[in-house]
Amino acid sequence: MQSFAFLKDREWRLGLLSSAFGKSFWGFFAAATALGLVCWAVKGPDVVAQAFADDLNLLVGLLPRVLVALSIASLIWVLLPRERMSALVGKESGVRGLVIAAAAGTVTPGGPSSAYSLLAVMGISGADRGALIAYIVAWATLGMQRILVWDVPFMGVEFAILRFVVSLPLPVLAGLIARRLPLDLHIRSTLQAPERRP
Amino acid sequence: MNIGFLVLFSLLGVLLAIALGRGQDFGPAVRRFAEQFAMLVPRMLCALVAAGFIAQLIPKQAIAQMLGDDAGLLAIPVAAFTGLLVPAGPVIAFAIAAVFAKSGASTAALVTFLTSWSIFAAHRILLYELPLLGPSFLRLRVTSALIVPFAAGLLAFLVGLYTAYGVVVMQR
Repeated sequence: MQSFAFLKDREWRLGLLSSAFGKSFWGFFAAATALGLVCWAVKGPDVVAQAFADDLNLLVGLLPRVLVALSIASLIWVLLPRERMSALVGKESGVRGLVIAAAAGTVTPGGPSSAYSLLAVMGISGADRGALIAYIVAWATLGMQRILVWDVPFMGVEFAILRFVVSLPLPVLAGLIARRLPLDLHIRSTLQAPERRP
Repeated sequence: MNIGFLVLFSLLGVLLAIALGRGQDFGPAVRRFAEQFAMLVPRMLCALVAAGFIAQLIPKQAIAQMLGDDAGLLAIPVAAFTGLLVPAGPVIAFAIAAVFAKSGASTAALVTFLTSWSIFAAHRILLYELPLLGPSFLRLRVTSALIVPFAAGLLAFLVGLYTAYGVVVMQR
């Protein structure tokens, strides 16, 4: 099993550990602790306990999804013909490219882990910036899965339809704005490098 | 088990079948899985706990008062700003939206709130966007999408002038 050799690579394992518990992890940890103290001071220990209980419930529901979503993202990462995709939403793709990207964002299932992984893949393979923006804004505002799972049960079908319809033109609009903004864009590709020779 | 999870699960099944059919080498996929897992999950646990506390601290009732029909268009910026403040997943965001709806928030305000949350949710920026795409993408996206919640709210407001379609009916 030559292709699994990285599992025995000490450097790789240390890198994994430092990306898991690096600086930004401790930043999150500090923020959570500070907010917990504020909550304790303002609302009392019962509310803190309640918050923890809610978190635990959420976590039990969330972890299996995260595992499945990450598996999907990893499989897409190895399966996707990245060159062909960037041609579809490349720099010369016009408004059509934005519409395709927005449609892709609308139907991408799964939570942020799969959408953002796909977005990163698109970004590295050279998709146009307008298409990247249209994709992620469409995923956020029009995402079918969120509408079916959250909007409909919580807010009702009519509200869900209304929100969907008024948001329909907005991802393409955001994409058009992104194309005109004079901002530099450098997509990170460190972790995405498929092969890293020691 | 719900619809979302079933969709995810079947997608995984399809992808696995494709990969097996192609005789795909699973090494790189497993490697990427481990790297992404290490990058996301520990931070996610902390963010989840932090978000739970913030959800407790947000003065939901006080904000809901500012989102009513009397507030008119003014409710839109208030709702957009509130959406920014919810750094948590759909469970908490929609629970808050339901509280707003119960206390009489206008439809335009609810549309604005949910759109603003879905675009700017801070936990997603910290957990996924910055690690996977970097700060320059965040800057581009935030600038490009800034008008989206306002446009959605305004369109919903205009629709509301003609029809009551989409008004959330909640048992008070």
